[in-house]
Amino acid sequence: MPNTNAIKTRAIHTGIPGLDEILHGGIPPGAVVILEGEPGTGKTTIGMQFLVEGAVSFNEPGIYITFEELPEQIYEDMSGFGWDLRQLERENKLRVICMEPDILLDQMLQPNGIFEAVVKEIGCKRVVIDSISLFRMVSTQEHARNNVYTIRNIMRKHNLTSFFIREYAELAEMNIPFENYICDGIVRLSLKPLMEKYRKRTIEVLKMRGTRIMEGEHTYKFLNQGVYIVPSLSMAEDKTLTREKEVFSTGIDTLDELLGGGIPRGSVFMIDTNSKANYRYLMSSIYAQRIKDDDCTVALMSGNTPLDTFADTIELFGVSLREAARDGKAFFIEHYRRAVDSDLEKAMIRVDKVANDDYAQVLNDKLGPIFECEDTCDKRWFVYYDLNTIISERGRDFLLRYFAEEMSMWRSLGITIVVHCNFAEIGKETASFLERTCNGVIRTWVDGNYQYLQVTKSPSGRVSAPHIIANAPDEPFVQLI
Amino acid sequence: MVAESDVITLQMECTLFFENNPYAIETSSGLSKRLGRSQQVTERALNRLADMSILEKNGDGLRAIYRYRAPYVQTEVDLSAYD
Repeated sequence: MPNTNAIKTRAIHTGIPGLDEILHGGIPPGAVVILEGEPGTGKTTIGMQFLVEGAVSFNEPGIYITFEELPEQIYEDMSGFGWDLRQLERENKLRVICMEPDILLDQMLQPNGIFEAVVKEIGCKRVVIDSISLFRMVSTQEHARNNVYTIRNIMRKHNLTSFFIREYAELAEMNIPFENYICDGIVRLSLKPLMEKYRKRTIEVLKMRGTRIMEGEHTYKFLNQGVYIVPSLSMAEDKTLTREKEVFSTGIDTLDELLGGGIPRGSVFMIDTNSKANYRYLMSSIYAQRIKDDDCTVALMSGNTPLDTFADTIELFGVSLREAARDGKAFFIEHYRRAVDSDLEKAMIRVDKVANDDYAQVLNDKLGPIFECEDTCDKRWFVYYDLNTIISERGRDFLLRYFAEEMSMWRSLGITIVVHCNFAEIGKETASFLERTCNGVIRTWVDGNYQYLQVTKSPSGRVSAPHIIANAPDEPFVQLI
Repeated sequence: MVAESDVITLQMECTLFFENNPYAIETSSGLSKRLGRSQQVTERALNRLADMSILEKNGDGLRAIYRYRAPYVQTEVDLSAYD
């Protein structure tokens, strides 16, 4: 029996570079998606690329139905991208059909009509209709709505994933078009001004049932092989860190997603907070998750948070810091003379009386044997470093001298480091130096009534949009919206 | 009255159209608009092509639709057995 229910979950890959990334994998099978744009935005090209990629890369034959354009013109135009549509037709992987809108509907409604026959003949999986605006022109609003609704249902019945092309200019001043309610997705193509004299092409997914989307406008270009979309907030990827490297979870699912899975092992990440932002749960979640995953940890303690308080917070995540300290899996670098209980004391590396000139040497002398100890030498190490403490206790000049060298040495040992700092307090120059030294930067700040979080640098090259940090009732007690 | 020469000309135009657009599905009205010819002559030409089995006709009257019966063409022959 054909599927008449809601869309299934497996994604149909569009094959259009960048679009699947924006759609977190692709379009849900059987979805009917409106592809709208002004003349010249590339609707036909994107529609045809969806079919060509389906036929060539995924063995999913497709049908292109055109009401106005002649197939021979389309064959000619698309040959510019190296697509031999006639050859694909000979291989029964594609049909470019021209007919009038009412004939299409007639044939679709007939059992064993021409539409159904062609779908069966080539085992069709994808359809593009160019364009549904014609239904609006040849009939009343009510008829047009019924017709588009019927066609959508037929697409779903045959489980055909489809693009319905729609002219955008004619709709710009109308109320919300009825197709927007009927269809499963809306993709809009636009031409926007760029640097006064230029124009850029942008694509935006306004709606897509059954899958998450990367929101916002993304730039696309016509290349020799078709349309190429560059998802927004994309930067160059650091292949040395992302290639086959293991990533670990921050304990916050939504943050892991922004980071492309988590924090790569052996990287240095900076958490930049402004004075109002609460970073306690964010940092505690990352730290607690390391202990849960059986990593060994070193934490350079903040002046604001005594170790007892830190232990209490970590306990909320189901982790006993005292137990980790007893097991030799947690060590603490302490700049202040603060008393702790005996379990924690044996894990303390006290540096309150160590002069700046001796600091690196003392730390290396203390940590070296710990890293190389028989019990822990085969463990993975994680270091949390509160740079605000270093700045307040040892000064900015010391930080600039010491930081890059120390991070480089720890990274060479395969240690993952998360550093906490307040960029606004340390000045632009120092902040940009630290940002350069780190592989990733997570910013969190309070603006108005909300606290935000944004990944502004990551080894994957992915930069996120700002997300609101909302409270959550259960561990990790925060979520990104 | 439609001249025979006009119908023959239209037969050639229609054949060429379907040759170039082998998966077109047209009514006489639709095709006459694409070719810029009168519907009356186009319909006669299409019916003749259907009689000659060059086109397939479904339905009758103005709603009749025409599709191309693409001739079978062998484009590749394996002669290795005769080497």
